[in-house]
Amino acid sequence: MSDNKFTFVQLEESASEHIASPQYSYWKSVFRKFFSSKLAIFMLIVAFSVLLIAFIQPIFSKYNPTIMPHINDRTMKYIRPNATYWFGTDDVGNSLFDAVWAGTKNSLIISLIATAITTVLGVIVGMFWGYSKKMDQIMIQIYNVFANIPFTLLVMVLMYTFGQGMAQLIFALSVTSWLGTAYFIRVQVMIIRDREYNLASRCLGTPTHRILKQNVLPYLVSVIVTAISRDVPLFISYEVFLSFIGVGLSQKEASLGGMIQKYSVYLQSASYLFWIPVCISAFISVSFYIVGQTLADASDPRTHMV
Amino acid sequence: MDDKKVILEVKDLSITFGSGKKTFTAVKNVNFNVFEGETFAIVGESGSGKTTIGRAIVRINPLSSGEIIYDDKKISGKLSKEMDQWVIKNIQMVFQDPAASLNERATIDYIISEGLYNFKLYKNEEDRKAKVDQALSDVGLLPEHKSRYPHEFSGGQRQRVGIARAMIMEPKLLIADEPISALDVSIRAQVLNLLKKFQKERNLTVVFVAHDLSVVRFISDRIAVIHKGRIVELAETEELFNNSLHPYTKSLLSAVPLPDPEIEKSKELIVYDESVHDYSVDKPSFHEIKPGHFIWANQAELEKYRLELK
Ligand SMILES: Nc1ncnc2c1ncn2[C@@H]1O[C@H](COP(=O)(O)OP(=O)(O)OP(=O)(O)O)[C@@H](O)[C@H]1O
Ligand SMILES: [Mg+2]
Repeated sequence: MSDNKFTFVQLEESASEHIASPQYSYWKSVFRKFFSSKLAIFMLIVAFSVLLIAFIQPIFSKYNPTIMPHINDRTMKYIRPNATYWFGTDDVGNSLFDAVWAGTKNSLIISLIATAITTVLGVIVGMFWGYSKKMDQIMIQIYNVFANIPFTLLVMVLMYTFGQGMAQLIFALSVTSWLGTAYFIRVQVMIIRDREYNLASRCLGTPTHRILKQNVLPYLVSVIVTAISRDVPLFISYEVFLSFIGVGLSQKEASLGGMIQKYSVYLQSASYLFWIPVCISAFISVSFYIVGQTLADASDPRTHMV
Repeated sequence: MDDKKVILEVKDLSITFGSGKKTFTAVKNVNFNVFEGETFAIVGESGSGKTTIGRAIVRINPLSSGEIIYDDKKISGKLSKEMDQWVIKNIQMVFQDPAASLNERATIDYIISEGLYNFKLYKNEEDRKAKVDQALSDVGLLPEHKSRYPHEFSGGQRQRVGIARAMIMEPKLLIADEPISALDVSIRAQVLNLLKKFQKERNLTVVFVAHDLSVVRFISDRIAVIHKGRIVELAETEELFNNSLHPYTKSLLSAVPLPDPEIEKSKELIVYDESVHDYSVDKPSFHEIKPGHFIWANQAELEKYRLELK
């Protein structure tokens, strides 16, 4: 052995900096996690089918509760569920299948629009509320006043004031719910507001709206999805409940709640008229809730490390 | 010393947290000057208020009293928008905890570009990319890292991302808050060398926060020793190591490991006992006991320290 058998090699410094792992993508990981749950996939298919049927079937059936072509045809009334009338017919000879999907469509429209308004308003206001200490002082007072009025009472008062109808119901639900979502977001923002990376952004002169968009909002994805998956079924139930007690949609509009109320008198004689809409509304709520919760879990990056 | 320009003046700075009855004064009547181009170290144990001072300079922490002057302009309290932006461009900070100071949901590209976006410090998208690539290579990282997220990096790499995002602003003053204390010993030198390199190339002034003197000896020109929110001694590095006066400084010095194992073995650790000070009648204040050497003491102690210096 002698020294001349060895040569010096250059140390490749940048090689040690190389990251070998594949690129991480947040949304890809979210979907991978979501689709690893068989129940969630099943419920997603259910929820998606419900959406499709509810928005397509009424186009063909043209169901309208005020139109009763078979009202004088006794043979058409109270037909039990069979091959032609899957859900049977009601007291005026209308197909319950048509009625249920028309009602589901209205419930879904109300719930989805009210959820969208509540979420957008709640998240935007909640983020500024949680981030700005000045705004918190004012908002918390407003919140304390409204949080102490029972939600149902407020909705009912609004419905009596503005009358029954889809738009009124969407308005009443959104107006009474967005503040709760904003408060929920405010608490979450306060938890992450003074984390060091937010201080770093402030040091770099990042304006508040960009800090909220880049540093705060991405951390809220999971809680926002949680809130949505809670609101959609909740608003469906509210529509059902309010129409049932007669302050939601009128009997002129197809509605699951209105139907349940109208058919509750047949609980003994033709119980399918009552139970089918009840089961469908429960089924929709559960499927949307489970899809939402699984998505909320999957959008928390802590579940991505396996 | 006199020909050097004072770039940062901290005057009688106090910072109190909390309100009502539960207040806690984290920083008490702190005074120091930082000269242009030097490395000024603030050393003290955990909880002594080092981070609080650093954050007051970058205006994250509001002051309870005192003022901070940068380049002859007051930068504490309420500032006009132009002043605010001017201060941000001039003074940047590297944060203590590399695990917490990067936004986990943003790519390295965004994190490093953040300051550029805020002040539109680029001509076009290409220029921005070139600047980010340059900033990455300045800290020894690769352009391919831009599309990665912080959690994919090691502690040392993350801290260098933190340095890159501050340095891309081309600040004149950098507050480095214990930039290496959370890092593995093996990579500390790398980060320190990086800071030294920037200082040489860009005439950067650095306020370097650390919790032990051994780190600071090789990089700083002057050192302030802080104890419970108060600067107890401030001097040039060699002066402080050779002629330390305050018992707290002495105890910190005794904790510095020595390269000779024989001496190290027989070395005596000095424990600081606050009760050696009798401040009941004779009140202490901050004195310049010798040009450039400051100490927190009362008259009786000053007499004693003067004798020690001879
Ligand atoms: N936002 C705050 N609210 C209340 N107390 C605080 C706040 N920030 C810091 N403190 C307190 O002020 C004191 C000084 O904290 P600081 O973070 O400045 O210490 P430090 O010297 O940086 O310590 P370390 O070496 O552990 O980083 C501590 O007792 C801390 O609990
Ligand atoms: Mg600290």
